[in-house]
Amino acid sequence: MLTTELAEPVARLQGVTKKIGSKTLVSDLTLDIPAGQIFGFLGPNGAGKTTTIRMMVGLISISRGDILICGRSIKDHFEEAVSHVGAIVENPEMYKFLTGYQNLRQYARMVSGVTKQRIDEVIKLVGLDNRIHDKVKTYSLGMRQRLGVAQALLHRPKLLILDEPTNGLDPQGIRELRDYLRRLCQQEGTTVFVSSHLLSEMELMCDSVAIIQNGRLVDVRQLKNIGDTVVAAAETLFEVDQAETAMALIGRGIVKEGGLVLEVTREEIPALNELLVNGGVKVYGIRALSRSLEDQFLEMTGGEGIG
Amino acid sequence: MGKFSGLIHNENIKIYSRARTWVMLLILAVMSALMPVLFYFSASDKSHLMGLWETFQMTVSVAFFLNTIFTVVVASDSIAGEFSWGTIKLLLIRPWSRSKILLSKYISMVLFSLLSTVVLIAFGLGSAYLFSSQTGDVMTSLTGWSPSAYSFMDLLFRYVELFLTATLAFMVSSVFRASGLAIGLSLFIIFAKNLIVIIFNPDRYEWAKYLLFTHMDLRVYLSSDTGPGGVTLGFSIAVLAAYYLLFLLISWIVFRKRDVAA
Ligand SMILES: Nc1ncnc2c1ncn2[C@@H]1O[C@H](COP(=O)(O)OP(=O)(O)OP(=O)(O)O)[C@@H](O)[C@H]1O
Ligand SMILES: [Mg+2]
Repeated sequence: MLTTELAEPVARLQGVTKKIGSKTLVSDLTLDIPAGQIFGFLGPNGAGKTTTIRMMVGLISISRGDILICGRSIKDHFEEAVSHVGAIVENPEMYKFLTGYQNLRQYARMVSGVTKQRIDEVIKLVGLDNRIHDKVKTYSLGMRQRLGVAQALLHRPKLLILDEPTNGLDPQGIRELRDYLRRLCQQEGTTVFVSSHLLSEMELMCDSVAIIQNGRLVDVRQLKNIGDTVVAAAETLFEVDQAETAMALIGRGIVKEGGLVLEVTREEIPALNELLVNGGVKVYGIRALSRSLEDQFLEMTGGEGIG
Repeated sequence: MGKFSGLIHNENIKIYSRARTWVMLLILAVMSALMPVLFYFSASDKSHLMGLWETFQMTVSVAFFLNTIFTVVVASDSIAGEFSWGTIKLLLIRPWSRSKILLSKYISMVLFSLLSTVVLIAFGLGSAYLFSSQTGDVMTSLTGWSPSAYSFMDLLFRYVELFLTATLAFMVSSVFRASGLAIGLSLFIIFAKNLIVIIFNPDRYEWAKYLLFTHMDLRVYLSSDTGPGGVTLGFSIAVLAAYYLLFLLISWIVFRKRDVAA
């Protein structure tokens, strides 16, 4: 962590606001994306993830604030700033009448230094070797998604921005994406900014995650830390036949369907179990009702509809 | 950063890897070659055959319509296509300013119009050469132009008209991102402009002198020193140039400022 905090953030969003008419889509968003991380951008549908990403790549104007990529403003030095970025914004749409390879050649021609060899390397990385010379109109959604990732990686960007990249991928494809994002991050030092509304996915993929809701930043946290706290303070369910008796024996907890729920640490469990068994209570199972990030996320953002 | 020629190359690939483009060029070639054949076989006897340049000019007068329509189709799709395919968002996140991307599109559209015009000339003139009277043109030179020079001035002025119409289509495509609208509007102008000139006759209305439609057909100057409403060729060219710059300016301003949320 120390090293990433010392290095300059790859992207800095400074009080970014987007207004269309009287509607505020993104409101005063300030966020630093540290170098060398896989950084998640999490929010429910309509939270403003895609809107933020569109501003980061200069597709839409920024109403207020600024975005710096590698220290250059996307507003004032667009070409320089965007040259460090590779991105997929929503579904990666390709020229359907061209082959996958011809599509990649299109983007290769727009930057310098992308060799044939590099194109082949990227094709292999996303696993499209067999179909790359077919027309894109014959591709499945997942294959287009892979081509989208290939297109974004061609010029070895410092910052890779992926908007819901697992959309349309099969479990195998999601797994592969996760693995090569990791590899990219570790071996080439690429920073990855990835949006999703699926928390379970973020937990597996990301080092940190920013949570956005209704266009506002709600929280930024490191995921590994959350895991630790979950282990420390777990709600545990004792599946027993007589929950009331069990509560009387232990002296605390809540009687729920299926048994007794109480907060215990890992170390306390064997002693409590022994207490129950000696007290004539049948224990069928003991399991932690860990409050996963999912619950915390829902708690944080839930209860409010899309809007 | 890549080279600007790479951008034009990209745009050309997008135009020429579509079957539609080749169908249009094929139709144009066939039409241009077919007209002289039709004239040849419909002549009641061989002494009534037209000469080479007359035949060619008749051919051009028909085939150039197609040429304009096809160029308008390409011009209209150049920007609107990217929006309807959704590829615009991958195109605009490269290290190129939007102005340069638009310029590459405009240039490739102009290159297409030149190619299609060359196809028209090659097939039209080739066929006219084979299917015309050998005795030469009777086309009287009222104007002091030789038949060949007259034909090429005629072509040039028609091209000016095509160029403006295509630029208009390009602008509509940039502003409304809808190729159907761009094609429809341009076709409407192609067919309605003569009517508009009749209704808003510059001899009657002073302001009609500043209308685009009044000056789109510069061919009147081939047989006369003064154009519609008594203006000079220079005046007509100035009006056309002003509209041309306006169209380009609007295309560029809108494209540069636009929020792309396709
Ligand atoms: N052009 C627009 N005009 C007005 N409102 C818009 C426009 N584009 C998006 N919005 C609104 O902005 C909000 C944020 O949209 P955005 O696409 O950024 O959400 P998202 O976080 O990407 O959601 P999802 O998970 O569904 O992709 C939504 O409420 C949406 O309705
Ligand atoms: Mg989205």
